[in-house]
Amino acid sequence: MGKPDPDKKHWLISQSELESWLDGIANARTLIAPRLEAGLLLYRPVTKSDEIAWNRQLPRSSPSGRPVLSVKEIFFPPTEVLFSIKKTGQEIHLAESFPDWETVVFGVRPCDAHGVKLLDALFLDTNPVDSFYARRRENTTLIGLTCQSLESTCFCTSVGGAPDDAHDVDIMLIETDEGFLVEAVTEKGRFLIPGGEWKETTVTHRSSNYAAQFPVPDKDNWPEHFNDDYWSKISERCLSCRACAYVCPTCRCFAVRDETISPGEFERIRCWDACAGENYRRVAGGHKPRAEKGERLRNRFYCKFYYYPEQYGLGTASACTGCGRCIEVCPAGVDITEVLIDLEKPA
Amino acid sequence: MYEPRIIAFLCSWCSYTGADTAGIARIKSPANIRAIRVPCSGRVSPELVMRAFDQGADGVLVLGCHIGECHYDTGNHRAAKRLPILKSLLTFAGLEPERIRLDWVSASEGDRFSRLAGEFTDSVRALGPVQWRVSHDWKPVPKWNLPATQEVIPYPETDFTAKEDAIRAKARELLANGQVSCVIGYELSRRGRTRPVFIYAPEEANRLVWNQDCTNNLTTYLTGKLRPVKGKEPPKPVAVVVKPCDSKAINVMVAENQYRRDQVYALGVSCEGIQGPDGNLQTRCVTCQEAVPIVCDALISGATSSFIPRLSSYAKEEITKLQDAAPSDRMEFWLEQFDRCIRCYACRQACPMCKCPECLYERDESTFVGLGIRLNEKRTFHLGRAYHLAGRCVGCNECERACPMNIPIGLLNQKLAEEIEAAFDHRAGLAVVPSPIVTVLSGEYKEG
Repeated sequence: MGKPDPDKKHWLISQSELESWLDGIANARTLIAPRLEAGLLLYRPVTKSDEIAWNRQLPRSSPSGRPVLSVKEIFFPPTEVLFSIKKTGQEIHLAESFPDWETVVFGVRPCDAHGVKLLDALFLDTNPVDSFYARRRENTTLIGLTCQSLESTCFCTSVGGAPDDAHDVDIMLIETDEGFLVEAVTEKGRFLIPGGEWKETTVTHRSSNYAAQFPVPDKDNWPEHFNDDYWSKISERCLSCRACAYVCPTCRCFAVRDETISPGEFERIRCWDACAGENYRRVAGGHKPRAEKGERLRNRFYCKFYYYPEQYGLGTASACTGCGRCIEVCPAGVDITEVLIDLEKPA
Repeated sequence: MYEPRIIAFLCSWCSYTGADTAGIARIKSPANIRAIRVPCSGRVSPELVMRAFDQGADGVLVLGCHIGECHYDTGNHRAAKRLPILKSLLTFAGLEPERIRLDWVSASEGDRFSRLAGEFTDSVRALGPVQWRVSHDWKPVPKWNLPATQEVIPYPETDFTAKEDAIRAKARELLANGQVSCVIGYELSRRGRTRPVFIYAPEEANRLVWNQDCTNNLTTYLTGKLRPVKGKEPPKPVAVVVKPCDSKAINVMVAENQYRRDQVYALGVSCEGIQGPDGNLQTRCVTCQEAVPIVCDALISGATSSFIPRLSSYAKEEITKLQDAAPSDRMEFWLEQFDRCIRCYACRQACPMCKCPECLYERDESTFVGLGIRLNEKRTFHLGRAYHLAGRCVGCNECERACPMNIPIGLLNQKLAEEIEAAFDHRAGLAVVPSPIVTVLSGEYKEG
């Protein structure tokens, strides 16, 4: 951030100004924000700003305000109806229903916003464009909020992120002692900001220098480790559930199936899927090319740090945002940071 | 007037013929009945009944041959055990119990068929349309708050070193004399989390730990470790560190021929309870009354500093609270819980009992549940899984612990465990006895 950009504007607003702004947004659009539900922090629709779990009211289980599921579920929901088919007599009707409501997501963590950016590479920037994803992306404004602290499992700084990284949101909010520093990052973001009501400021946020917690192995170092025994060793405890993939901001595999709703009524749905599942790679005849747990877990790490960057031209960046959710949810204690550290170690 | 849609599963030999008899004799039967002819009432799996409700049936009637007259000897005995358990499960999930009925009609009892069908239709009609299937727009109105009523017991300061040393010594000995090929235990990860570890060499035994966070049920790894592979030598025995609750899973799996008892060396550790993520005693431990493993080849019971008082009421209270609620409230409660589910299957994968080569709810050609990660499918999965664990679940509650979405899955299992105990005097894992639900003649269902 550093130097103030003449195109950008900065404002300093109080908590109550922020809340009434959000209330206004919630009246006109769908507002999604971190909310506490059954003791969990989740991105959920809110009708009023007082339903939001604010940074200072966060539960002990998530001090940084990182919701259990990433913001991915808003753009790439667990289940999407691609189209529905209705047969009446001899006629067959095909209907697509695109999501077209305007949505504002408040309290997006920088790692999550970066995850959306990474998903764009596949769903938007590569043909064919995914029209469902594109529509949601177009209709959604992301309001970022800096993390108050890093959680023990967070490692965004090691994969190029920071708790106050404003690159991938439309509006960035930085919580300071004087109030919230608001920065309009994109045109879409500025559109949401009320004109003269807020106090403009020349103060800009200077990103604190966050050092990487550990070095992440270079993309080109991955192929040589493909046949290592290491993978079967670390995967022994893996239970082959899909929790890591489903909470991940960048895991984007899906399965498609046609299902009957009632006689003469069908729909094609697409649902989350994950490479950890045993049947994920099953082919006709029943053969499973990735039958071993180790092969499946290896795929998860290679996908993040080699396949996806290679395929979608991310350069030196990886497809991991360092949010640490997979470490948090894994019921068996598989830890992605261990893998990264072990691979970086000279053999 | 509202006319209910009723699915009737009729056994081909007796009840279907009975319905035919009614027709030939011109005895009137309600037109609400959609008859599905099945070879035997024992063929009516619970998944079929649940599927009928998922697809909009207002009631399900299952009719078979009278007990003692099954054409396959024992098919109706199976139905007699399954249906009541399924009924109590669906009732617990918010369905009115009157919507499911199991009865017997022989081939000559046309009048009986007509009477039962009439009675059942009337009782379902009186209930009105079923509210089981949920629209995709349904949104929960959070109002239930389970954790708030939970009894909180802070985990006391405890010295675990004696036990830890004993586990390491035993593991070293077992590996050194070649008795086992591997010891499955707990280790500390680099970030200090306690997690499963697989030790193959005596000199690695020092990685093993014992502390208040040893929560995983490690017996879940046994099936994979001990599975015979074609063309390879039979796997060598494996040692596993078990807590009292975990150990019972070995009995169940041995009873179900997943592995032999002599393939497992159970390193039993006496247990003071395990700590939850909030620093308090875990819910399952609050009600646990067992301090010593039921299955163990070596017992490690070093002195520890303090005794943790146990309550016996928590889960029972929650179940009673739900049972006393109106069916619609119960339904709402469970929908609210299942709404959070993301179908990651962590519950199933962590479970030592869920060892089907391919889960019924994950098959590509599954007709019992769709692929969708939506409320109807999620509920079907959870209720189906709970049913499959009836009489098998040992209550280690790993499913609930593994759930990233805080769904109280354990309540379903606990409820069915109580039901099975009341009906069959059976408690899973106390001995090498399979669930009365999966066996045929042992353990008849007691009415009431």
